[in-house]
Amino acid sequence: MSEGRSSFVYVTYIRTTPEKLWRALIEPEFTRQFWCETVQDCDWKVGATWKLMIPDGRVGDAGEVLEFDPPRHLALSWQNQFTELRAEGHSRLTYTLEPQQDMVKLTVTHEMPHPDSKFIEKVSGGWPIILSSLKSLLETGESLESTRRWPEGM
Amino acid sequence: MSDKPKFVYVIYIASTPEKVFAALTDPDQTEQYWFGFRVGANGKVGAPRTVRNPAGVDFPNGVILESDPPRRLAYTWPPHTDQTNHERPSRVTFDIDVIKGQVRLTIVHDDFDAGSKVFEGISQGWPAVLSSLKSFLETGRVPEPGWCEPAVQVDRVRA
Repeated sequence: MSEGRSSFVYVTYIRTTPEKLWRALIEPEFTRQFWCETVQDCDWKVGATWKLMIPDGRVGDAGEVLEFDPPRHLALSWQNQFTELRAEGHSRLTYTLEPQQDMVKLTVTHEMPHPDSKFIEKVSGGWPIILSSLKSLLETGESLESTRRWPEGM
Repeated sequence: MSDKPKFVYVIYIASTPEKVFAALTDPDQTEQYWFGFRVGANGKVGAPRTVRNPAGVDFPNGVILESDPPRRLAYTWPPHTDQTNHERPSRVTFDIDVIKGQVRLTIVHDDFDAGSKVFEGISQGWPAVLSSLKSFLETGRVPEPGWCEPAVQVDRVRA
């Protein structure tokens, strides 16, 4: 963690192509399976509004597309909408995809421009299972079971 | 933030704790997913943790600090390059839980001194090793040789 910021960084290697991984990160038919039934409402160009939609119709998180360079690099501004963590303001999420033979190295970085962020603490607990499930989906055709439904009561 | 480095990584695997524990401790299995390294850690507390690289060179032994199959394993991780031999052994701890039907594997690699070069290497290496472990257990397949040269080179340098 750099001084003055909060950050979460996760690296995973997935047997797929950058193009397939890129689609899985943004298209509803994939995200529903590995990301707890959520879909992203977005035009996918720089400056477009981005929303992460919860299956009951609530907006979970919202922001805008900051960088869009398929299938290599995607950056979003990201503010929580449905909990008190909204008060922390906008975080920055980046996905970086790098092919390495039959694998793709995926680096996910989620940063908040202030220290001791509760929001970053929260997402640090969530990203590993979502990204593990994404890897399972692309390598085996099946996501991890507990990520196929939005958690009850959340 | 403490200035003592600590690496933490969590990965979820569609498997059982027994299979994950065996894959982490049986050299015949590690050889398949851990860049060809044979890592033996299936002894009791106080027994050696052994590592043989793909060229057949044995690294200095670590020591098993905790072994509670299939839930918890900890061992020491001695340095093994000329550049890092002045560092003291660090510590690796694996915790294996079942969360909502999947195995959650948590690895903590800590007990480094500030500025450790070993820490820089393992921070690159563990995500590659653990991604490969997950593929091995879920699909039976592992990446092609050389798929992750930067991480592998960190280990080869130690040989």
